[in-house]
Amino acid sequence: MKTFLGYPRSNGTFGTRNWVIVIPAQREVSMLACKIHEMVNGTQFLMIPGYWGRSKEDRKVIARTMIGVGLNPNTAGVLIVSAKKHFGYPEINNDLLMENIQTSGTPVREVILEDVGGFYNALGEGVRLARELVLEASRVHRTSCSIQHLNLSVKCGVSDATSGVAGNPVIGMVFDKLIDAGGTAFFSETTELIGGEQMIADRAVNQQVRQDILNAVHNIEEKVKSIGEDIRSINPVPSNIAAGITTLEEKSIGAIAKSGSQPIQGVLNYGECPTKAGLYFVDAWMSAVSLPLTYAAAGSQLFIFQMGGGDLPEKYPAMPAVSSPVVSPVMYVTGNKETYAKADDSMDFNSSSVMDGTLSIEETADNMLECIIDIASGTWTKSESWNYRDQLEYYLTEPCF
Amino acid sequence: MHINAIKINSIDNVGIAIETLHKGDSASFKDGKTIQNITIHDDIPFGFKFSLENIAKGESIIKYGLQIGIASQNISLGSQMHVHNCEGARGRGDLGGKSK
Repeated sequence: MKTFLGYPRSNGTFGTRNWVIVIPAQREVSMLACKIHEMVNGTQFLMIPGYWGRSKEDRKVIARTMIGVGLNPNTAGVLIVSAKKHFGYPEINNDLLMENIQTSGTPVREVILEDVGGFYNALGEGVRLARELVLEASRVHRTSCSIQHLNLSVKCGVSDATSGVAGNPVIGMVFDKLIDAGGTAFFSETTELIGGEQMIADRAVNQQVRQDILNAVHNIEEKVKSIGEDIRSINPVPSNIAAGITTLEEKSIGAIAKSGSQPIQGVLNYGECPTKAGLYFVDAWMSAVSLPLTYAAAGSQLFIFQMGGGDLPEKYPAMPAVSSPVVSPVMYVTGNKETYAKADDSMDFNSSSVMDGTLSIEETADNMLECIIDIASGTWTKSESWNYRDQLEYYLTEPCF
Repeated sequence: MHINAIKINSIDNVGIAIETLHKGDSASFKDGKTIQNITIHDDIPFGFKFSLENIAKGESIIKYGLQIGIASQNISLGSQMHVHNCEGARGRGDLGGKSK
């Protein structure tokens, strides 16, 4: 049995990291929450999107995403910052966040601006509580646990011909091995099932899941038809076409390889968390500023960005792209030897040996799994060395009013 | 024989250059257990596709054993295959909702 060193949580899960997150319950206290985070080591800040004028459904998506991140095994404690009790829409409020996040046994504290006498007092009280939480979190020590407790998620980006042939198939094989060990994995990018959806639907565990997959693809294809554009003017993105990917179908079939070959247990909507282990499809927007958040809400403790990179600047290292999944590290991998050579200070794993046949997909997947276990056990990904957090965009699909 | 291209599935009608190929070069790739060679008629950058047979306008372009698009013009053996001669058939909002 393969193991990693994880932070044990009271609900039986294991974290790969040990963060306290500061969560504003309203937009109005975003700055307050962010300033508390800036003053206390070991914390992360979860931004809250604009929700005024948004539909009930979108507000539910926002709330469940925030709660999900609070429940992530990498979350060791939560500080909820609120302007006052019961402020704003009922779907997003401090009590709801508190009650739901506490169910995991995670320590949760709350600072309410109105109750403590305004912004400056709330800042001081918030800092005091956040410090208590990080000191408590620091007393949790890593311990050996089965990789069945590992929950991986993936996105492919800047895709080129190496993505579908080397990069994605290696991740698919890693997912296969993780699922065999009893673990959990997520893939997404609904638009990039178009053209290959039957292969995915054929792996559904039952008729309902099969239909959910086909419906998700049908709905997104109808959306692009409704705006009158050829999808190719949107996706494949210009970088894909510049690197030799011709159609969305070609990109999709290459992208799907990252899901491996295991049965698909279900389709999750944005911000949803599954109740049991296995492989899941998340019906969501493909953006690297959006997917990491829903994956973190679904419990993923490590996010893999599989990069092609064929269209990156030819002679200079790739710009360090850092997409923050709030509490879970992002690991960059590539199947393109040029990308790896140009950006070895950004890339955590190189699977390009598959392209020229030096190593098989399976051999490379075994090596990648060892690298993942190492990172899950505490080794930093290259992107974790940057003191930068990327923007995050919740995937909200309803009109604004 | 130096391998400089790949054919992913036995029914594919396009190959992929795994190093930059120039007009007149021979593309060498594994096809099952045998090595095939074809003469390339365009410069093909790393990762780009070339046709493995003569493909008529309207016929399917096959990669990974699946249709990835439709030939928008006749494509001769050894020619580059990309957006200039292949169209997607899915997500075509520009066709007024009709599938192509």
